[in-house]
Amino acid sequence: MSATTQSPQARTPKPPAAEAASSVKMIRLMGSVSLICGLLIVTTYRSTLVPIQRNQEIIMKETVAELLPGVEKQVIYGVQPSGEISVLKSLDYTGPRLFAGYNGSGALLGVVLEASDRGYADVIRTMYAYSPAKQAITGFKVVELKETPGLGDKITSDPTFLANFQNLDVRLNADKTSTAHPVTTVKHGTKKNPWEVDAISGATISSRAVGRALDKSTRDLLPIVNRNLSRIEKGE
Amino acid sequence: MALIHEPDAPAASAGESMEAFFNGLWNQNPVFVQVLGMCPTLAVTNSVRNALAMGLATTFVLVCSNTLISMVRKLVQKQVRIATYILIIATFVTIVDYLIKAISIPVYKALGAFIALIVVNCIILGRAEAYASKNSVGKSMLDGLGMGVGFAFALTCLGSVREILGAGSFLGIPLFGPNFQPWVLFLLPPGGFLTLATWLLIFSAWKARSKRKTEVLEEIAA
Repeated sequence: MSATTQSPQARTPKPPAAEAASSVKMIRLMGSVSLICGLLIVTTYRSTLVPIQRNQEIIMKETVAELLPGVEKQVIYGVQPSGEISVLKSLDYTGPRLFAGYNGSGALLGVVLEASDRGYADVIRTMYAYSPAKQAITGFKVVELKETPGLGDKITSDPTFLANFQNLDVRLNADKTSTAHPVTTVKHGTKKNPWEVDAISGATISSRAVGRALDKSTRDLLPIVNRNLSRIEKGE
Repeated sequence: MALIHEPDAPAASAGESMEAFFNGLWNQNPVFVQVLGMCPTLAVTNSVRNALAMGLATTFVLVCSNTLISMVRKLVQKQVRIATYILIIATFVTIVDYLIKAISIPVYKALGAFIALIVVNCIILGRAEAYASKNSVGKSMLDGLGMGVGFAFALTCLGSVREILGAGSFLGIPLFGPNFQPWVLFLLPPGGFLTLATWLLIFSAWKARSKRKTEVLEEIAA
Protein backbone atom coordinates (compact mmCIF):
# COMPACT_ATOMS: atom_id res chain seq x y z
CA MET A 1 0.00 0.00 0.00
CA SER A 2 1.45 3.40 -0.91
CA ALA A 3 1.78 6.19 1.63
CA THR A 4 -0.98 8.22 -0.04
CA THR A 5 -3.69 5.60 0.47
CA GLN A 6 -3.09 4.84 4.12
CA SER A 7 -5.61 5.21 6.89
CA PRO A 8 -6.30 8.65 8.44
CA GLN A 9 -4.08 7.76 11.42
CA ALA A 10 -1.04 7.69 9.19
CA ARG A 11 -1.74 11.16 7.84
CA THR A 12 -2.26 12.76 11.23
CA PRO A 13 0.50 11.23 13.32
CA LYS A 14 -0.42 10.56 16.92
CA PRO A 15 1.93 10.41 19.87
CA PRO A 16 3.14 6.82 20.46
CA ALA A 17 1.39 6.61 23.84
CA ALA A 18 -2.04 7.23 22.27
CA GLU A 19 -1.40 4.55 19.63
CA ALA A 20 -0.45 2.02 22.25
CA ALA A 21 -3.57 2.85 24.24
CA SER A 22 -5.77 2.31 21.21
CA SER A 23 -4.12 -1.06 20.50
CA VAL A 24 -4.80 -2.12 24.05
CA LYS A 25 -8.38 -0.97 23.64
CA MET A 26 -8.75 -2.99 20.46
CA ILE A 27 -7.31 -6.10 22.07
CA ARG A 28 -9.58 -5.59 25.07
CA LEU A 29 -12.63 -5.23 22.85
CA MET A 30 -11.83 -8.27 20.72
CA GLY A 31 -10.99 -10.23 23.86
CA SER A 32 -14.24 -9.43 25.61
CA VAL A 33 -16.34 -10.05 22.50
CA SER A 34 -14.58 -13.39 22.02
CA LEU A 35 -15.21 -14.27 25.65
CA ILE A 36 -18.94 -13.53 25.36
CA CYS A 37 -19.12 -15.48 22.09
CA GLY A 38 -17.24 -18.39 23.61
CA LEU A 39 -19.59 -18.52 26.57
CA LEU A 40 -22.62 -18.43 24.26
CA ILE A 41 -21.30 -21.27 22.13
CA VAL A 42 -20.36 -23.45 25.09
CA THR A 43 -23.77 -22.89 26.72
CA THR A 44 -25.56 -23.87 23.52
CA TYR A 45 -23.32 -26.88 23.00
CA ARG A 46 -23.94 -28.11 26.55
CA SER A 47 -27.68 -27.61 26.41
CA THR A 48 -28.16 -29.21 22.97
CA LEU A 49 -25.90 -32.20 23.56
CA VAL A 50 -28.59 -34.41 25.11
CA PRO A 51 -31.36 -33.62 22.56
CA ILE A 52 -28.94 -34.16 19.66
CA GLN A 53 -27.87 -37.55 20.98
CA ARG A 54 -31.48 -38.49 21.65
CA ASN A 55 -32.43 -37.50 18.08
CA GLN A 56 -29.63 -39.61 16.65
CA GLU A 57 -30.64 -42.56 18.78
CA ILE A 58 -34.29 -42.26 17.75
CA ILE A 59 -33.34 -42.18 14.07
CA MET A 60 -31.07 -45.21 14.47
CA LYS A 61 -33.70 -47.13 16.42
CA GLU A 62 -36.34 -46.38 13.80
CA THR A 63 -34.05 -47.46 10.98
CA VAL A 64 -33.18 -50.71 12.75
CA ALA A 65 -36.86 -51.36 13.45
CA GLU A 66 -37.66 -50.75 9.79
CA LEU A 67 -34.95 -53.16 8.61
CA LEU A 68 -35.79 -55.89 11.14
CA PRO A 69 -39.59 -56.05 11.39
CA GLY A 70 -40.81 -57.27 14.77
CA VAL A 71 -37.78 -56.05 16.71
CA GLU A 72 -38.42 -55.41 20.41
CA LYS A 73 -34.96 -55.00 21.90
CA GLN A 74 -31.77 -53.58 20.43
CA VAL A 75 -28.14 -53.91 21.50
CA ILE A 76 -25.35 -51.90 19.90
CA TYR A 77 -21.86 -53.37 19.60
CA GLY A 78 -18.71 -51.53 18.64
CA VAL A 79 -16.11 -53.40 16.60
CA GLN A 80 -12.59 -52.75 17.86
CA PRO A 81 -9.62 -52.73 15.44
CA SER A 82 -8.57 -56.13 16.81
CA GLY A 83 -11.90 -57.62 15.68
CA GLU A 84 -13.28 -57.90 19.20
CA ILE A 85 -16.76 -56.55 19.91
CA SER A 86 -18.06 -54.74 22.97
CA VAL A 87 -21.48 -53.43 23.99
CA LEU A 88 -21.81 -49.66 23.47
CA LYS A 89 -23.74 -47.45 25.86
CA SER A 90 -24.18 -44.62 23.33
CA LEU A 91 -23.94 -44.21 19.56
CA ASP A 92 -20.76 -42.21 19.95
CA TYR A 93 -18.21 -44.59 18.48
CA THR A 94 -15.77 -44.04 15.64
CA GLY A 95 -15.32 -47.64 14.52
CA PRO A 96 -17.89 -49.88 12.80
CA ARG A 97 -21.07 -50.53 14.80
CA LEU A 98 -23.35 -53.55 14.87
CA PHE A 99 -27.01 -53.11 15.78
CA ALA A 100 -28.37 -56.43 16.96
CA GLY A 101 -32.17 -56.74 17.03
CA TYR A 102 -34.14 -59.24 19.13
CA ASN A 103 -37.82 -60.15 19.17
CA GLY A 104 -40.12 -60.19 22.19
CA SER A 105 -38.85 -63.58 23.43
CA GLY A 106 -35.21 -62.50 23.10
CA ALA A 107 -34.29 -64.44 19.95
CA LEU A 108 -31.87 -62.75 17.55
CA LEU A 109 -33.70 -61.47 14.45
CA GLY A 110 -30.67 -60.15 12.69
CA VAL A 111 -27.84 -57.65 12.77
CA VAL A 112 -28.00 -54.24 11.11
CA LEU A 113 -24.73 -52.89 9.75
CA GLU A 114 -23.59 -49.73 8.07
CA ALA A 115 -22.09 -49.47 4.60
CA SER A 116 -21.01 -46.43 2.65
CA ASP A 117 -19.15 -45.54 -0.52
CA ARG A 118 -18.74 -42.63 -2.89
CA GLY A 119 -21.64 -42.16 -5.25
CA TYR A 120 -22.04 -39.63 -8.04
CA ALA A 121 -22.45 -36.49 -5.92
CA ASP A 122 -21.21 -37.45 -2.48
CA VAL A 123 -20.80 -40.40 -0.14
CA ILE A 124 -23.91 -42.61 -0.03
CA ARG A 125 -24.56 -43.97 3.47
CA THR A 126 -26.69 -47.06 3.79
CA MET A 127 -27.71 -49.59 6.42
CA TYR A 128 -28.59 -53.21 5.81
CA ALA A 129 -29.97 -56.07 7.81
CA TYR A 130 -27.98 -59.30 7.90
CA SER A 131 -29.55 -62.54 8.93
CA PRO A 132 -26.90 -64.94 10.32
CA ALA A 133 -29.39 -67.83 10.01
CA LYS A 134 -30.04 -67.23 6.31
CA GLN A 135 -26.50 -65.97 5.61
CA ALA A 136 -28.14 -63.27 3.54
CA ILE A 137 -28.94 -59.58 3.46
CA THR A 138 -32.65 -59.25 4.22
CA GLY A 139 -33.18 -55.51 4.27
CA PHE A 140 -31.60 -52.33 2.96
CA LYS A 141 -32.06 -48.61 3.45
CA VAL A 142 -30.25 -45.54 2.20
CA VAL A 143 -29.78 -43.21 5.17
CA GLU A 144 -27.96 -40.34 3.49
CA LEU A 145 -27.46 -39.36 -0.12
CA LYS A 146 -27.05 -36.28 -2.27
CA GLU A 147 -27.52 -37.99 -5.65
CA THR A 148 -29.23 -36.28 -8.57
CA PRO A 149 -33.01 -36.14 -8.08
CA GLY A 150 -34.81 -38.28 -10.63
CA LEU A 151 -31.68 -40.29 -11.51
CA GLY A 152 -29.31 -41.39 -8.75
CA ASP A 153 -31.85 -40.96 -5.98
CA LYS A 154 -33.90 -43.82 -7.49
CA ILE A 155 -31.77 -46.15 -5.33
CA THR A 156 -33.99 -45.15 -2.43
CA SER A 157 -37.30 -45.90 -4.15
CA ASP A 158 -36.97 -48.14 -7.22
CA PRO A 159 -38.90 -51.32 -6.28
CA THR A 160 -36.95 -53.65 -8.61
CA PHE A 161 -33.66 -52.37 -7.24
CA LEU A 162 -34.77 -52.67 -3.63
CA ALA A 163 -35.98 -56.23 -4.32
CA ASN A 164 -32.28 -57.14 -4.74
CA PHE A 165 -31.82 -56.81 -1.01
CA GLN A 166 -34.72 -58.94 0.17
CA ASN A 167 -32.49 -62.00 -0.01
CA LEU A 168 -28.98 -61.18 -1.19
CA ASP A 169 -26.61 -64.09 -0.73
CA VAL A 170 -23.59 -63.12 1.38
CA ARG A 171 -22.61 -66.49 2.82
CA LEU A 172 -19.04 -66.82 4.07
CA ASN A 173 -16.26 -68.79 2.41
CA ALA A 174 -14.99 -72.13 3.74
CA ASP A 175 -12.48 -70.72 6.26
CA LYS A 176 -14.92 -67.99 7.33
CA THR A 177 -12.54 -65.09 6.68
CA SER A 178 -14.55 -63.32 3.98
CA THR A 179 -17.67 -63.67 1.88
CA ALA A 180 -17.75 -66.57 -0.56
CA HIS A 181 -18.88 -64.35 -3.44
CA PRO A 182 -18.28 -60.61 -3.51
CA VAL A 183 -21.47 -58.55 -3.86
CA THR A 184 -21.32 -57.33 -7.46
CA THR A 185 -23.48 -54.86 -9.31
CA VAL A 186 -24.44 -56.05 -12.77
CA LYS A 187 -26.09 -54.26 -15.71
CA HIS A 188 -29.85 -53.92 -15.46
CA GLY A 189 -31.63 -57.15 -16.37
CA THR A 190 -28.55 -59.40 -16.31
CA LYS A 191 -28.72 -60.63 -12.71
CA LYS A 192 -28.13 -64.40 -12.64
CA ASN A 193 -26.70 -65.22 -9.22
CA PRO A 194 -28.20 -64.50 -5.80
CA TRP A 195 -25.16 -62.40 -4.78
CA GLU A 196 -25.52 -59.99 -7.71
CA VAL A 197 -27.22 -56.60 -7.55
CA ASP A 198 -29.32 -55.68 -10.57
CA ALA A 199 -28.45 -52.03 -11.33
CA ILE A 200 -30.98 -49.34 -12.23
CA SER A 201 -30.53 -48.12 -15.80
CA GLY A 202 -29.97 -44.39 -15.53
CA ALA A 203 -28.54 -44.69 -12.04
CA THR A 204 -25.60 -46.96 -12.77
CA ILE A 205 -22.99 -45.00 -10.78
CA SER A 206 -25.20 -44.87 -7.69
CA SER A 207 -26.16 -48.57 -8.03
CA ARG A 208 -22.49 -49.53 -8.33
CA ALA A 209 -21.65 -47.43 -5.27
CA VAL A 210 -24.26 -49.37 -3.29
CA GLY A 211 -22.77 -52.66 -4.53
CA ARG A 212 -19.24 -51.58 -3.59
CA ALA A 213 -20.34 -50.32 -0.18
CA LEU A 214 -22.14 -53.58 0.62
CA ASP A 215 -19.26 -55.68 -0.69
CA LYS A 216 -16.68 -53.91 1.46
CA SER A 217 -18.86 -53.90 4.57
CA THR A 218 -19.88 -57.57 4.25
CA ARG A 219 -16.30 -58.71 3.62
CA ASP A 220 -14.98 -56.80 6.64
CA LEU A 221 -17.74 -57.24 9.16
CA LEU A 222 -19.64 -60.47 8.51
CA PRO A 223 -16.71 -62.71 9.60
CA ILE A 224 -16.62 -60.71 12.86
CA VAL A 225 -20.39 -61.10 13.32
CA ASN A 226 -20.17 -64.84 12.76
CA ARG A 227 -17.15 -65.26 15.05
CA ASN A 228 -19.01 -63.52 17.88
CA LEU A 229 -22.42 -64.92 17.03
CA SER A 230 -22.89 -66.82 20.31
CA ARG A 231 -22.32 -63.60 22.27
CA ILE A 232 -24.57 -61.55 20.03
CA GLU A 233 -27.33 -64.17 20.31
CA LYS A 234 -27.24 -63.86 24.07
CA GLY A 235 -27.16 -60.07 23.80
CA GLU A 236 -24.09 -59.61 25.99
CA MET B 1 -33.11 -6.52 24.63
CA ALA B 2 -35.26 -4.10 22.72
CA LEU B 3 -35.95 -2.41 26.03
CA ILE B 4 -32.41 -1.08 26.33
CA HIS B 5 -32.77 2.55 25.38
CA GLU B 6 -29.82 4.50 24.18
CA PRO B 7 -29.41 7.76 26.08
CA ASP B 8 -28.61 9.80 22.96
CA ALA B 9 -30.99 8.03 20.58
CA PRO B 10 -34.56 8.36 21.75
CA ALA B 11 -36.68 5.26 21.39
CA ALA B 12 -37.84 4.96 17.80
CA SER B 13 -41.46 5.81 17.26
CA ALA B 14 -43.76 2.95 16.36
CA GLY B 15 -44.03 4.20 12.78
CA GLU B 16 -40.29 4.35 12.30
CA SER B 17 -39.82 0.87 13.76
CA MET B 18 -42.48 -0.55 11.49
CA GLU B 19 -40.73 1.08 8.57
CA ALA B 20 -37.47 -0.62 9.55
CA PHE B 21 -39.35 -3.94 9.53
CA PHE B 22 -41.29 -3.52 6.29
CA ASN B 23 -38.28 -2.10 4.51
CA GLY B 24 -36.56 -5.47 4.77
CA LEU B 25 -39.70 -7.49 4.20
CA TRP B 26 -40.82 -5.72 1.04
CA ASN B 27 -39.23 -2.49 -0.27
CA GLN B 28 -35.66 -3.72 0.19
CA ASN B 29 -36.36 -7.45 0.08
CA PRO B 30 -32.93 -9.07 0.20
CA VAL B 31 -33.65 -11.55 -2.59
CA PHE B 32 -36.18 -9.89 -4.89
CA VAL B 33 -34.86 -6.31 -4.69
CA GLN B 34 -31.27 -6.39 -3.48
CA VAL B 35 -30.56 -9.80 -5.12
CA LEU B 36 -28.25 -10.78 -2.24
CA GLY B 37 -27.53 -14.18 -0.73
CA MET B 38 -28.00 -16.03 -4.01
CA CYS B 39 -25.98 -19.05 -2.92
CA PRO B 40 -28.46 -20.40 -0.32
CA THR B 41 -31.35 -19.02 -2.39
CA LEU B 42 -30.50 -21.29 -5.29
CA ALA B 43 -29.05 -24.21 -3.39
CA VAL B 44 -31.49 -25.09 -0.63
CA THR B 45 -34.85 -24.10 -2.12
CA ASN B 46 -35.58 -27.53 -3.61
CA SER B 47 -38.28 -28.08 -1.01
CA VAL B 48 -40.49 -25.85 1.13
CA ARG B 49 -39.20 -27.44 4.33
CA ASN B 50 -35.56 -26.72 3.50
CA ALA B 51 -36.36 -23.20 2.33
CA LEU B 52 -38.27 -22.43 5.53
CA ALA B 53 -35.56 -23.90 7.72
CA MET B 54 -32.88 -21.91 5.94
CA GLY B 55 -34.98 -18.74 6.12
CA LEU B 56 -35.62 -19.16 9.84
CA ALA B 57 -31.97 -19.96 10.57
CA THR B 58 -30.87 -16.84 8.70
CA THR B 59 -33.52 -14.75 10.47
CA PHE B 60 -32.30 -15.95 13.85
CA VAL B 61 -28.69 -15.08 13.01
CA LEU B 62 -29.71 -11.70 11.55
CA VAL B 63 -31.79 -10.66 14.57
CA CYS B 64 -29.22 -11.80 17.14
CA SER B 65 -26.16 -10.43 15.36
CA ASN B 66 -27.88 -7.11 14.56
CA THR B 67 -28.89 -6.75 18.20
CA LEU B 68 -25.49 -7.56 19.66
CA ILE B 69 -23.61 -5.48 17.09
CA SER B 70 -25.88 -2.53 17.77
CA MET B 71 -25.26 -2.94 21.50
CA VAL B 72 -21.49 -2.79 21.14
CA ARG B 73 -21.41 -0.32 18.25
CA LYS B 74 -20.07 2.57 20.36
CA LEU B 75 -17.20 0.46 21.69
CA VAL B 76 -16.00 -0.98 18.39
CA GLN B 77 -13.02 0.74 16.84
CA LYS B 78 -13.15 1.18 13.11
CA GLN B 79 -10.03 -0.91 12.47
CA VAL B 80 -11.42 -4.08 14.06
CA ARG B 81 -15.09 -3.71 13.22
CA ILE B 82 -15.26 -6.35 10.45
CA ALA B 83 -13.37 -8.83 12.61
CA THR B 84 -15.73 -8.16 15.52
CA TYR B 85 -18.83 -8.46 13.33
CA ILE B 86 -17.67 -11.73 11.79
CA LEU B 87 -16.89 -13.09 15.25
CA ILE B 88 -20.39 -12.25 16.46
CA ILE B 89 -22.05 -13.60 13.31
CA ALA B 90 -20.01 -16.82 13.42
CA THR B 91 -21.06 -17.35 17.05
CA PHE B 92 -24.74 -17.18 16.22
CA VAL B 93 -24.27 -19.42 13.19
CA THR B 94 -22.62 -22.02 15.42
CA ILE B 95 -25.52 -21.72 17.84
CA VAL B 96 -28.09 -22.14 15.07
CA ASP B 97 -26.13 -25.13 13.78
CA TYR B 98 -26.50 -26.89 17.16
CA LEU B 99 -30.13 -25.83 17.49
CA ILE B 100 -31.13 -27.27 14.09
CA LYS B 101 -29.32 -30.50 14.93
CA ALA B 102 -31.22 -30.65 18.21
CA ILE B 103 -34.56 -29.96 16.52
CA SER B 104 -34.37 -32.18 13.46
CA ILE B 105 -31.50 -34.23 12.11
CA PRO B 106 -33.10 -34.79 8.65
CA VAL B 107 -33.35 -31.00 8.17
CA TYR B 108 -29.78 -30.62 9.37
CA LYS B 109 -28.61 -33.18 6.83
CA ALA B 110 -30.63 -31.58 4.02
CA LEU B 111 -29.15 -28.13 4.65
CA GLY B 112 -25.65 -29.55 5.09
CA ALA B 113 -22.83 -27.09 4.56
CA PHE B 114 -25.22 -24.23 3.91
CA ILE B 115 -25.84 -23.69 7.62
CA ALA B 116 -22.15 -22.99 8.20
CA LEU B 117 -22.14 -20.81 5.09
CA ILE B 118 -24.64 -18.40 6.70
CA VAL B 119 -21.50 -16.79 8.15
CA VAL B 120 -20.55 -15.48 4.74
CA ASN B 121 -24.10 -14.58 3.69
CA CYS B 122 -23.66 -11.02 2.49
CA ILE B 123 -27.09 -9.99 3.81
CA ILE B 124 -25.93 -10.44 7.40
CA LEU B 125 -22.61 -8.61 7.20
CA GLY B 126 -24.31 -6.05 4.98
CA ARG B 127 -26.98 -5.29 7.59
CA ALA B 128 -24.35 -5.20 10.36
CA GLU B 129 -22.24 -2.68 8.47
CA ALA B 130 -25.01 -0.62 6.89
CA TYR B 131 -27.61 -0.58 9.65
CA ALA B 132 -26.80 -2.12 13.04
CA SER B 133 -23.53 -0.22 13.43
CA LYS B 134 -25.41 3.08 13.06
CA ASN B 135 -28.83 2.56 14.65
CA SER B 136 -30.37 1.88 18.05
CA VAL B 137 -30.77 -1.65 19.40
CA GLY B 138 -34.55 -1.78 18.91
CA LYS B 139 -34.44 -0.54 15.35
CA SER B 140 -31.54 -2.84 14.46
CA MET B 141 -33.41 -5.80 15.84
CA LEU B 142 -36.50 -4.95 13.79
CA ASP B 143 -34.37 -4.39 10.73
CA GLY B 144 -32.83 -7.83 11.21
CA LEU B 145 -36.26 -9.34 11.69
CA GLY B 146 -37.63 -7.61 8.58
CA MET B 147 -34.69 -8.65 6.41
CA GLY B 148 -34.81 -12.18 7.80
CA VAL B 149 -38.54 -12.60 7.27
CA GLY B 150 -38.14 -11.08 3.80
CA PHE B 151 -35.42 -13.61 3.03
CA ALA B 152 -37.48 -16.49 4.41
CA PHE B 153 -40.51 -15.30 2.41
CA ALA B 154 -38.49 -15.19 -0.81
CA LEU B 155 -36.97 -18.61 -0.16
CA THR B 156 -40.41 -20.07 0.53
CA CYS B 157 -41.72 -18.57 -2.73
CA LEU B 158 -38.95 -20.34 -4.62
CA GLY B 159 -39.25 -23.52 -2.59
CA SER B 160 -43.01 -23.83 -3.15
CA VAL B 161 -42.75 -23.52 -6.93
CA ARG B 162 -39.84 -25.94 -7.09
CA GLU B 163 -41.40 -28.52 -4.79
CA ILE B 164 -44.87 -28.37 -6.38
CA LEU B 165 -43.54 -28.72 -9.92
CA GLY B 166 -40.51 -30.86 -9.18
CA ALA B 167 -41.93 -33.31 -6.69
CA GLY B 168 -45.70 -32.77 -6.87
CA SER B 169 -45.92 -32.07 -3.17
CA PHE B 170 -46.06 -29.21 -0.68
CA LEU B 171 -44.22 -29.60 2.63
CA GLY B 172 -43.95 -33.28 1.78
CA ILE B 173 -47.72 -33.74 1.33
CA PRO B 174 -48.46 -35.15 -2.16
CA LEU B 175 -50.81 -32.87 -4.10
CA PHE B 176 -51.57 -34.59 -7.38
CA GLY B 177 -51.94 -38.30 -6.69
CA PRO B 178 -49.85 -41.20 -7.94
CA ASN B 179 -50.14 -40.48 -11.68
CA PHE B 180 -48.31 -37.17 -11.47
CA GLN B 181 -45.07 -37.20 -13.45
CA PRO B 182 -42.75 -34.85 -11.52
CA TRP B 183 -40.94 -32.16 -13.48
CA VAL B 184 -37.58 -33.13 -12.00
CA LEU B 185 -35.76 -30.27 -13.71
CA PHE B 186 -37.15 -27.96 -11.05
CA LEU B 187 -35.33 -29.84 -8.29
CA LEU B 188 -32.05 -29.53 -10.17
CA PRO B 189 -29.88 -26.37 -10.27
CA PRO B 190 -31.32 -25.11 -13.61
CA GLY B 191 -34.78 -25.20 -12.02
CA GLY B 192 -33.50 -22.93 -9.27
CA PHE B 193 -32.29 -20.37 -11.79
CA LEU B 194 -35.50 -20.56 -13.83
CA THR B 195 -37.71 -20.14 -10.75
CA LEU B 196 -35.64 -17.26 -9.41
CA ALA B 197 -35.72 -15.52 -12.80
CA THR B 198 -39.50 -15.91 -13.01
CA TRP B 199 -40.02 -14.52 -9.52
CA LEU B 200 -37.69 -11.58 -10.21
CA LEU B 201 -39.60 -10.90 -13.43
CA ILE B 202 -42.96 -10.94 -11.63
CA PHE B 203 -41.63 -8.76 -8.83
CA SER B 204 -40.06 -6.12 -11.08
CA ALA B 205 -43.08 -6.07 -13.42
CA TRP B 206 -45.33 -5.49 -10.42
CA LYS B 207 -43.03 -2.75 -9.09
CA ALA B 208 -42.85 -1.03 -12.49
CA ARG B 209 -46.63 -1.18 -12.79
CA SER B 210 -47.25 0.36 -9.37
CA LYS B 211 -44.65 3.06 -10.12
CA ARG B 212 -46.43 3.92 -13.40
CA LYS B 213 -49.72 4.01 -11.51
CA THR B 214 -48.45 6.56 -8.97
CA GLU B 215 -46.97 8.65 -11.80
CA VAL B 216 -50.28 8.70 -13.63
CA LEU B 217 -52.08 9.60 -10.40
CA GLU B 218 -49.64 12.43 -9.76
CA GLU B 219 -50.13 13.70 -13.30
CA ILE B 220 -53.87 13.73 -12.84
CA ALA B 221 -53.50 15.50 -9.51
CA ALA B 222 -51.20 18.08 -11.12
